Amino acid sequence: MPLLELDHVSKQFGGLLAVANVSFSIDEREIVSMIGPNGAGKTTAFNCVTGLFLITRGEIRLDGHSISGVPPHRITTLGIARTFQNIRLFSYMTAVDNVMVGAHWWMKERVWDGAFTTPRSRREEREVERRALDLLDQLGLAGYAGSYARELPYGLQRRLEIARALATRPRLLLLDEPAAGLNPQEKNELMALIAQLRDEGLTVFLIEHDMRVVMEISDRIVVLDHGEKIAEGAPAQVRENPQVIEAYLGTGASKVMHTA
Amino acid sequence: MLRGLFRPVQRVSSTGVYTILTVTAAALVLLGWLLPWFVTAFSEGVGFSPQDAVSSAPTGIGTFLLYVTGVCMLIVLLSPIVEAVQRLRHRPLGVRSDAVRAIAGVVGLVLTVVVWILVRWANEEPLFGTLGNSPVTNSAVWLEMYAFALAAVVYGLKPLVLSRPNAMFAATALPLGALLPLMFHQAPDFVLWATQSLAVYMLLGLGLNVVVGFAGLLDLGYAAFFAIGGYACASLASPVHGVHISLFLLIFIGAAIAATFGAILGAPTLRLRGDYLAIVTLGFGEIIPDLATNNALGLTGGPNGISGIDTPRIGPIDFSANPQWFFWALITLSVIVVILLRNMQRARIGRAWVALREDEVAAAATGINTTTSKLLAFAIGASVSGLAGAFYGAIVSIVSPDDFSFAVSIAVLSIIVLGGIGNIAGVVLGAFVLTFVIFWVLPNLNQWSTTFGHNFNVPAISGIDFTRYTFIIYGAALILMMLFRPAGLLPSRARKVELESGIESESLSAVQGLS
Repeated sequence: MPLLELDHVSKQFGGLLAVANVSFSIDEREIVSMIGPNGAGKTTAFNCVTGLFLITRGEIRLDGHSISGVPPHRITTLGIARTFQNIRLFSYMTAVDNVMVGAHWWMKERVWDGAFTTPRSRREEREVERRALDLLDQLGLAGYAGSYARELPYGLQRRLEIARALATRPRLLLLDEPAAGLNPQEKNELMALIAQLRDEGLTVFLIEHDMRVVMEISDRIVVLDHGEKIAEGAPAQVRENPQVIEAYLGTGASKVMHTA
Repeated sequence: MLRGLFRPVQRVSSTGVYTILTVTAAALVLLGWLLPWFVTAFSEGVGFSPQDAVSSAPTGIGTFLLYVTGVCMLIVLLSPIVEAVQRLRHRPLGVRSDAVRAIAGVVGLVLTVVVWILVRWANEEPLFGTLGNSPVTNSAVWLEMYAFALAAVVYGLKPLVLSRPNAMFAATALPLGALLPLMFHQAPDFVLWATQSLAVYMLLGLGLNVVVGFAGLLDLGYAAFFAIGGYACASLASPVHGVHISLFLLIFIGAAIAATFGAILGAPTLRLRGDYLAIVTLGFGEIIPDLATNNALGLTGGPNGISGIDTPRIGPIDFSANPQWFFWALITLSVIVVILLRNMQRARIGRAWVALREDEVAAAATGINTTTSKLLAFAIGASVSGLAGAFYGAIVSIVSPDDFSFAVSIAVLSIIVLGGIGNIAGVVLGAFVLTFVIFWVLPNLNQWSTTFGHNFNVPAISGIDFTRYTFIIYGAALILMMLFRPAGLLPSRARKVELESGIESESLSAVQGLS
């Protein structure tokens, strides 16, 4: 059974059909990329999966159970974590606090535990803090634990967002343009990280514009254009697909002015 | 704990002079605390109370000198605090301010001696009632010495305060503690101010800070929760329904009732943010006192309110006999509330609130239930006002709709804006400063100006009613704070940067297209 399934999903904003009847599925421990020109509906599809948008038609299933209409925080607890295209860290929380927010839903500490700093709460806070620091360490953010998220360099902010997502104990990780704005070396590190996460049992679903990253790490690629899925398959297949080439390059763009 | 660990600590070396000054001054302050136990009863009507000044009609130069000394004292007393704040802003004070402080210090000391001589040998009468029959007349001088001692303590503790944010917190509590001996010695109206205004508004400020400061939900109708707490406790401890529950049970009941209403009133505002939320809460703030005025369900006693509220007693301690007990009870309560709120701020729920304030969408996508977190903020904030309401009723023994007007909401909001939104220490300081100005200085200014006009034969001054300027002060405080120190007197570190960069985050429901 696939881990995530989009079954004829549509999302309409007024007269605009941002996602039109899209169906595909993602198996466990797979790395799937979603590509397409700007405005193709990729991020909208992400928002539908994570419950930020209520879908207009169709159904989204996780492990065969419908998650349409489930609120975003519940979807996180079901094992889907995400990052955002325009980084959405808690800017004025420290890096370690950002990661600890990711642990929020599975922490057992109740409000009164926190208020009275019961031994249970202290133990758990320490434990979660240790884990958060470990996670930062593994993502190469060890020296930045006490810095505000905002103060971090851009590349590290992207990574901190992944760390925060990982702290929610996901099975499926959604990355929205994780390579955007990274230099070639950072991109290599990112690819290594994604491969490592898959080896650890995670499923990764990403939106990416950088074709080198997409072609190198994806098991499968889904191509959207104008909200519709125009192609799906292994990188080599998608690369050769004439529809994909047309969507990206247009029909003889350089000749338009001549013929007119 | 975590924050302190990672925050770069800036060490400032402490010199020997500091240490000596601090130890000496601390001893003086301690003496000030212990003095009431050694000095026997004072003569009647004697106190640092302007009413006394008026009733005994001081006419001499001593009164005037005391005013001047008071100003010098304030300069010396406040300068280390100003300096500490400026240092935190990386704008150390220049030589000129040192000179001002030095001049004020010397003038103040000289005048203290002069006043003392006037009092001892010239039988001049400064502010302190009848001379000659009580040692308390000396306390004019003692008061000055005390203030200088306090200034020295603050000055001496400066290096400590500058290097440790937590010490900053302790330092803000110092003025309160330092004024206690004054209270014991002197005016009953001071006790009244400290309980009815300072402690109650401090609790309200702490409660509102949870909603506005931690969770970032602007609530302009916080007085509604205060009203609910106040009325709930008044109904359960007065002849009006024939129920008499002990205040110490009642504070929990009041907190629970206010928390429930906090959640109920919070629920419709969940999808709102910023301006819209503010307007809706403003509505609540108007509706609740209106319901009370109209005697809703026959519970509130209409425009006259509920009177004859029981005064609490624990065993032999009768609160009505000595209002100081209110002060002690309220201070204990405030300390407990501060500790609990600080713990919460640093725990799981505190992080959730900050995350919610920073970016609601990201918070939801990170697994935070925005609905329950917001409702919890409303409920916990309201429950603190329930505590305040219970005590308020017991202190003034009558609650009426006028006590919970929009002015109260604005006062509480001004307190947290003035002190530092999101910072508990800031709220404590803000409550101290604002209630001191609004509820003690302003009413007393009337008396002082009368005395002054009387002394110098300027009738125009003696006729001014300063309490009418309360709202001007709120307004001026808010405008000046927003212009010059938008993060408050004692800003929380995060909030400061945030306000300076002016980020506005969008609401979850706006992203979801629900509102």
